[in-house]
This record gives sequence, structure tokens and C-alpha cells, in this order.
Amino acid sequence: MSTHHPADDLLLSLAAGSLDRASAIVVSAHLESCTHCCQQLELLEAVGGELLADIEPVDMEIGAFSRTLERLDQPVSVAVAQVPVVRPDLPAGMHWPRSLDGCDITPWKRLGPGMRWSRITVPGDPQANAFLLRMAAGMELAAHTHGGRELTQVLYGAFDDGRDVWRAGDLDDADGEVHHRPVVTAESECICLVALTGGRTRFDGFVARALGAWMGI
Amino acid sequence: MLTPTDRRDAVPTPDALADLLQAVSEARDHAAFAALFRHFAPRIKAYLIRRGVAPGQAEDLAQEAMVNVWRKAASFDRQRAAASTWIFTIARNLRIDQLRHDRDATSAAMPADEDAEDIAHDIVDNSPLPCDHAASAEIGLGVRAAIDSLPPEQARVLQLSFYEDQPHAAIAEALAIPLGTVKSRIRLAVGQLRQRLEYLKS
Repeated sequence: MSTHHPADDLLLSLAAGSLDRASAIVVSAHLESCTHCCQQLELLEAVGGELLADIEPVDMEIGAFSRTLERLDQPVSVAVAQVPVVRPDLPAGMHWPRSLDGCDITPWKRLGPGMRWSRITVPGDPQANAFLLRMAAGMELAAHTHGGRELTQVLYGAFDDGRDVWRAGDLDDADGEVHHRPVVTAESECICLVALTGGRTRFDGFVARALGAWMGI
Repeated sequence: MLTPTDRRDAVPTPDALADLLQAVSEARDHAAFAALFRHFAPRIKAYLIRRGVAPGQAEDLAQEAMVNVWRKAASFDRQRAAASTWIFTIARNLRIDQLRHDRDATSAAMPADEDAEDIAHDIVDNSPLPCDHAASAEIGLGVRAAIDSLPPEQARVLQLSFYEDQPHAAIAEALAIPLGTVKSRIRLAVGQLRQRLEYLKS
């Protein structure tokens, strides 16, 4: 049960189809476990459908309908046998969000003691900056603020950054006005799905900055 | 008796559109499909052009959207969504797919062949919905009234979000208001819609 939800502007962009792919994956991961936000999204999609009636139509070309009819019976291509997907290990009982289907996910790479990460490559969008962060219980992430917008969906465990505790199912939406130092709570390790848009993370310390630059975040 | 002008301007009711879609689904009814095509294809084309798709490609994608309407009609459930909502999401997803495909084609070293294109489309066809669309029949019926009850500046922000190729930052610029104001208008608009629909349900 989530207590931190995506803001309305994110859901509206998702409904309108204008949210960038990295953010869309994170927000969709939230929706998979949040009935409340699903209902919000449906409401906004219904608004999109209603507004379609108001739009000034643009005439289709002559013969468009018969060409469409010809296309109806063309065979639908059958996807070739899928290559088995290799993905990094997860804690027992945790499942991959479906929003990551089709994405390439690297094996866990060590960042430091108790801290690992994995880069996510989004098909058709090489610019998308998304990754997973996996930290052991009690670990803390260096204090930082954000050059752009950082969306974080907690997939497993929980962290506390002084503002609040963010548990599995919660979405954190942080920008340059948020300066925080997330600490994983003592109960278990924590895995987060993160999307960065509009600017890099700005770490306070030199070592963290160097690591961040190396990760490309 | 309808004059030709009336015929062109008459917008079918939500119920009539759902009936047509159901006829396509259950009876593979070509006449019903033709009626849906007349109503939706020119609107989908207009939507795509407004979102920055070139007119020639918009024509082709609007036809493809209608092909998808035919093929996927069985998954339409009038208890869960209005026909216009269902068709809007098809057009929206097709455009996202096209953007991705265009980017792939420009970034790939090898020219994409026909098979690769088909597979790219299949992937999107199968892309999982984040929500197992919960019952929302009430939503469809009340939405028009709820939109009409919004103050014009809130309705405008919603319209720009859906039907102009503009991120919220650009909307802020177009309306000469700060980005924070766009976001707060969105929050207000969505809050109002929700409240209004709750009221209609009770």
C-alpha cells in the first residue's frame, strides 16, 4: 500500500503519451501496485478520449477507407522466438515490474561496500537515463541534490531521508529543491528503480561526485 | 431527414459509438467499422498532426490505428471504458511506438528491414498495461460534464497537455505563466474532475 504517489502532472503526461520513457517506466512500475493511481490514470485517459471529440477533424485522403479495409486481412506478423532474458538476481519474493519488459538490464555492479547498481537500457531510447540501486540494510547514499528531476520507485525494502520513510510501492519525486541523504532502514536491503531527467545528480562529496560521474547519473 | 451538413457534423453519442465497436467485435460488421472510421480516423489524424507528426505519416498512422481498432475490438469492454477513451489510447500508443521506431531507425547503423519493423510493432502491441483497468464505467459517462464544469484556464491546461506537442514547460511559456502555475492548475483541474465525478456517482 503506497503512501507516496506520483504528482498529477506526471500522471497527466503519462495519459497524454508525452512523458519521457525513463520516467514512464518508473511511474508505470508504481501503477502496477497502486489501484488509487490506476483510477487516476483512467480518469485522465477518459479526459483524453473526450477531448478527442472536440478536436477539429482533418479529412482523410480519398480512398483511405478502402486502403484500410485491404489492410485488415493482412496477416499479423508473429514475433520470432524470444531470446531468453538474462536478468540480475533479486531477493526472494521480489518480482520485476512489468514496465521493465523489453529493457536491457545489466548485472549488478559494485559501487562500494553494500552498494550495487545496474544500468537499464530502454529500447528505442538511448537517451533514457534509468537504473536500479541496491543497498544493504543501514547503508546510506551520499548527500545530494538534483540538477533535474529524479523519480524513485521503491521496489523492495525502505529508506528514510529525513523527510519521510519511503517503503516498497512508494514513489519519490525530487528536484533541485530537495537535498537529501537517503538511509536504508535496518529491516532489510533496499532496491530502487530510478529515472533522471533534465540534469544530473549533484553529490556533495568529491568521491560520490566521481562515482556519480562514472555511473553517468 | 438529415442534410449532408448535418450528417457530417452529427457526433454519435457515447452509447452509439460503443454499440458500433461492439458490432465490430462480435459480428465483424463492416458497416459499423465504416461509421467508426468516419468519426474517428479524421480526429486521430488531427491529433497526430497536432502532436507533431507529418501529415503524410499521420494519414498512414490513422489508418493503422483503425486497423488496430478492428483487430483488437474483442478487448473493448464498454463496462470499463468509453469507446473514445479506448480508441484514444490506441492512437496514443501508436504515436509513442512511432517515435521510438523513428529514433531506432536514425540511431541504428544498419537500416531496419521489414521484419524488424513488424517485430517492433509487436513489442508495443504486447506492451503491458500498468493497470488491469478497474471498473470505471461511471468515469466515462460523467467526464464530459466534469470537463465542462472546469474553469476555462484549467480546461485549457488539460487540452494543451493532450492535444499540443508541448511539454509542461512549453505550456508555461505559451500561456506566459510560471511552470509551477501549470502544475498547480493541473492539480486543481484533476482534483475538480475527481470531485465532480464523485458527486455524479453518489
